[in-house]
Amino acid sequence: MVYLDAAATSLVKPLSVGREMLRAMQSCASPGRGGHEPAMRAAAAVYRCRETAARLFHVPEPERVVMTMNATHALNLAIRSLAARGTRVLISGYEHNSVTRPLQLLGAEVLTASSPLFDRDAALEAFRERIADAELVVCTHVSNVFGFILPVYELAALCRERGVPLIVDASQSAGVLDVDFERLGAAFIAMPGHKGLLGPQGTGLLLCGREGEPLLAGGSGSDSREQSMPPYLPDRLEAGTHNVPGAAGLTAGMRYVLDRGTEAIAAHEQELLAELVARLSVLDGVELFAGAPGTQSGVLSFRLRGFDCEEAAQRLAERGVCVRSGLHCAPCAHRSAGTLETGTLRASFSPFTEPGELEAFCGVLEEILREGR
Amino acid sequence: MLRYLILCRSLTYAQKAAAVLERRGIDAPIIKAPLRLRERGCGYALSVSRRFSEAVALLKENHLLTGRLYSRSEDGEYREVNEYGLP
Repeated sequence: MVYLDAAATSLVKPLSVGREMLRAMQSCASPGRGGHEPAMRAAAAVYRCRETAARLFHVPEPERVVMTMNATHALNLAIRSLAARGTRVLISGYEHNSVTRPLQLLGAEVLTASSPLFDRDAALEAFRERIADAELVVCTHVSNVFGFILPVYELAALCRERGVPLIVDASQSAGVLDVDFERLGAAFIAMPGHKGLLGPQGTGLLLCGREGEPLLAGGSGSDSREQSMPPYLPDRLEAGTHNVPGAAGLTAGMRYVLDRGTEAIAAHEQELLAELVARLSVLDGVELFAGAPGTQSGVLSFRLRGFDCEEAAQRLAERGVCVRSGLHCAPCAHRSAGTLETGTLRASFSPFTEPGELEAFCGVLEEILREGR
Repeated sequence: MLRYLILCRSLTYAQKAAAVLERRGIDAPIIKAPLRLRERGCGYALSVSRRFSEAVALLKENHLLTGRLYSRSEDGEYREVNEYGLP
């Protein structure tokens, strides 16, 4: 099998991830619910996850690392903390539905800083032009469809200058690019645990520059006489029993990232990207969405002339090649790139993707192109 | 032996505080705080038997002193104390 769908979920994980999850499942109870040994082991496992994330993302205090179910949960928490009906929210033209749908549900007034694909200067300029109208900015660090790296650090500086809070969606960048909580100074940074951080599905993190408003209310193991959620992090945003095996696995994934280094991981993915672009660009009938160096992460969208993207992906899947197809839950990004009607196929890499997989993928793709529809 | 309890805002704060003390060689296991000492309900505390004043000073320095301080006598009675362990 050739797995090129790490932008959805990284399939190959460090061996330590599964091992730590099993250990946690067999030895840990509920953190914050008891004083006995299994409960305290669970508490230690969750705390290690916070500490490891704090180290990786330069968060000064581990309590600012909130455990979530996924990036969508984290983004909902962040958005509901800062937006309400009528709030004017400025977003990039490359947001995922996990940003746009919560805004729609809230009844926020959405303004879009539209810009052409892979043009970082234009993206920043589009934000600059509209930020005066905004009460909140939400921006993805990397487009999940095209791998376009948006200028979030420059945008963060602009938001600070204008006094507008910023939410960063680091779904595609966490574990791959430098995501620096202190340097960004964002109100919130949301991310999943199961993509670049190499943890299990069902995990996510919200890095909090602010206290935030609860999305769920319930048991926190603290201040139990009170009927409102505790006023302090992380308890305020974490109701109910934690995913302790998930946290243990996520810690192991983040330790791998720390050991290998995001620079080395990014360099590996850039090499793969360059190779895949070179291989695909010579194939007749392949339309690539590739940016200049420094504008694209390890995510490559493409279309095949004469093929519906879903049918092409199905043909690839039948021959053991796993890619993503369709609109990737991001119609906003496709609208910006002019691919809303057709969708795209998307190949994406992980630290464990090997050049041989690209060769095999291209071989299968050539076969399909030769066979035609 | 007289033990002291340092009440903590939350389990995470207790863990953070225990880690700070551990780095200075002060043993401070995390325990569930007696409910009668917690007006707001369940919570956690650090249990310290040696170098109490030093522990309190360290936590203060690190902005981790978030709850009241108690001594626990051998007969199980708790008494609120100051940062020097005095009533």
